[in-house]
Amino acid sequence: MKKSVERLIVAALLSVNVSLCMAEMDHQQAHAMNMNMNMSMNSDGIVMNSNHHELPWGCDSISEDYEFSVRAGRDYAKDNPGMVFGMNQHEYNVAPCSRITVTFFNEDEVRHQWMVHGLPNYLYPTGMFHLEAMAGKSVTGTFIVPGDHKTYLVHCDMAQHMEKGMKGQLKVGRGSGDLWNIAKVSGTYRRADYLPDFTFTIMSFLTVVMFLTVLYIISRIAKVK
Amino acid sequence: MVLALFVALISFPPAWYPVALKVQLSLWFGASEYRALPISVPGGQIDSEVFCPPDLLNWRDSQVIEGVAISESLPCIADNPFMVASFVKGTNNISHQTLMKSGLTPDAIEKGEDLDGDGDPDVIHIRLELVELNGASGESDQPVTQYEIAPGIKPGLWVFAPKLAGMARENFESKMARSSLRVPSPVIRIEAGDQVKITLENTHYMPHTLHLHGSDHGFVDADGKGNDGVPLTSELPVLPGNARTYELNPRKAGTMFYHCHVQPHVHVTMGLQGMFIVEENRPNNWLQTMNIGAGLVRVPSVAVKEDYTQEYDLHYTDLDKQLSERIQDSNDPRLVTRSMHREYDVTDATADYFLLNGKSFPYTFRESIVVVEEDENIKLRVLNGGTKGIALHTHGHKFTLTHQDGVPLPENAQVVRDVLWLATAQRADLALSTINDGLHSYGSGIWLFHDHQNRGITTDGIGPGGNISAIVYKNYLSEAGWPKTQGVSFKPFFTEQYYQKQIPVWQSYAPDLFSDVARDWLLFTRLIILSLSIGIFLALLVSKIKYREKIP
Repeated sequence: MKKSVERLIVAALLSVNVSLCMAEMDHQQAHAMNMNMNMSMNSDGIVMNSNHHELPWGCDSISEDYEFSVRAGRDYAKDNPGMVFGMNQHEYNVAPCSRITVTFFNEDEVRHQWMVHGLPNYLYPTGMFHLEAMAGKSVTGTFIVPGDHKTYLVHCDMAQHMEKGMKGQLKVGRGSGDLWNIAKVSGTYRRADYLPDFTFTIMSFLTVVMFLTVLYIISRIAKVK
Repeated sequence: MVLALFVALISFPPAWYPVALKVQLSLWFGASEYRALPISVPGGQIDSEVFCPPDLLNWRDSQVIEGVAISESLPCIADNPFMVASFVKGTNNISHQTLMKSGLTPDAIEKGEDLDGDGDPDVIHIRLELVELNGASGESDQPVTQYEIAPGIKPGLWVFAPKLAGMARENFESKMARSSLRVPSPVIRIEAGDQVKITLENTHYMPHTLHLHGSDHGFVDADGKGNDGVPLTSELPVLPGNARTYELNPRKAGTMFYHCHVQPHVHVTMGLQGMFIVEENRPNNWLQTMNIGAGLVRVPSVAVKEDYTQEYDLHYTDLDKQLSERIQDSNDPRLVTRSMHREYDVTDATADYFLLNGKSFPYTFRESIVVVEEDENIKLRVLNGGTKGIALHTHGHKFTLTHQDGVPLPENAQVVRDVLWLATAQRADLALSTINDGLHSYGSGIWLFHDHQNRGITTDGIGPGGNISAIVYKNYLSEAGWPKTQGVSFKPFFTEQYYQKQIPVWQSYAPDLFSDVARDWLLFTRLIILSLSIGIFLALLVSKIKYREKIP
């Protein structure tokens, strides 16, 4: 809890010019972090930190333009066992310094989000590009990625939506490896949940059996010699 | 062999000798020499949380937003006043800036036509989402969208939530849920005669419904579709990603209840329950449609203001940690469903956590105290949403029971009590008078109120915890909103270690008497020698018998 006290102090120092731009300005300790969001909201949804022209440091020009049409909802989890929500595309490969336009269609009757994290803070407050579409609506936003080869997290930040299928990755250039738990791209951590009953009993039994067998064989060999 | 036997006999502790032998030996030799008992272990430095987080944005102050007068909220942690104003005016009737500061979506609470022409909107459309707190992560053992009911305690929970724009967490660096995603599900307030639609947008990964317990609503809606939220009789549940709109046009006012009715023996306990209040119809009655986290109603209804100086919503619940941990054990909804609905046996269940307005002591002292002055008359609406009854007791006061289950009691049945039994799902409206007459109030102070059953004042068996809160008179409240207690230090209670049973309960004020105790390593060594020598003795004995001829 020491950390939160430190954060409180930081928040107190910054509170002089905290501008309430983003949602709710929550739990008071979080306030210092959510400043100066560039956000537009209407009945279709939210586009946050859209950027058409500002180049990240180290980029001389826009290398390429990409357009992704992302569809999201429960239907896209159908062929992904154990998941409830999904997207038609979970991995996005783009060139360094490219400009990406995403149109995010929400086919469900509840909200969904398409967010990228880890972008440079000087262009994208809190390092985030965020699309949020209301039920049955679509929103479009544009952002420009930096020049380094890096893998960015793409997800829906509604409670449990990432865990239950709405996780993806944006690979800039060669990327920096794969993230875990991405539908049809990378592996799942929790495989042990799916073992048959008594697996561990059988394992212990077999370990003892093998131990005794090998011991017996060795003793026979020793006797023969 | 004899030597081993001798060592064993010597190292055998005299304390374990037969009584007769002990008596005989002390007659011959007297008591053994003095050796002090092990020393008390000094308590370590207690690294406690801040009791009362500073109110950096002045949310506690009384203020006027969008023309809505919002009363001050004196406890340390107050609701976001912009959200309160949005609930009163409707998210469709406020400026873009207020909407942004509220954190709500434009369609969260829509308020329309004034049907009876009395100066307030009567067509109301409320949207509810479903949120899992402290649920499983696909990648670590740490739960996600975290919510603490007490220091370090993060049980898995489900709640109905207002429709919020943006992330579920405070920010990307944080694991904590944003402040308005919390237990209990929000208190919903409507006016008798309102035409109300409530759309349940199922953002969760399991099926759910909305059941309006005690409120006047049709079994079917105008189109003949199920409206009772009961999968057994009226409709199929709302699947993940789907939505359904429930309708009501209540004729009677009262303190009611709403909850999910899918596998209710599990879903209600998990937190899918809230207070549902139908206020009496009055002119210019702009209601605070939701009260996040229950507690003080910052914009009370016209009818409540006629008779009372303040109004508080008090929602009691309990939790079984053997149930709530099941959503953390697996990330696969199929496995979680099997675990919660087939393997979990509610008939063997015990409650471990006891919450008032979504928190246990000491967090209740931050936000769920009732702040009063002398000569006030305060309305308390109480719901017991827990699986056990509660024996609600107020120190220093006797309250008057005015309504039960939303029905007003006749004058002569309005009893004055200091303990009230509330069975599961029962509601009571209480009038708390602070007139110092030796009956209703004994005067100024910090007076606890809590479930008087012993388990209710603990957190998994550790006290003080559970649903303890207090009626605090203003002269006993600090500027920051913290009660000026003059008893024991609260420092241990604001640590995880206390509720993990690691801090002796009286250490803060009597460390010499009641600290933890050092171990007796001397006796331990003696017993080790005893066991070694017995082992040697037995081994020698066995070999002596077995190889009698071979060993000389």
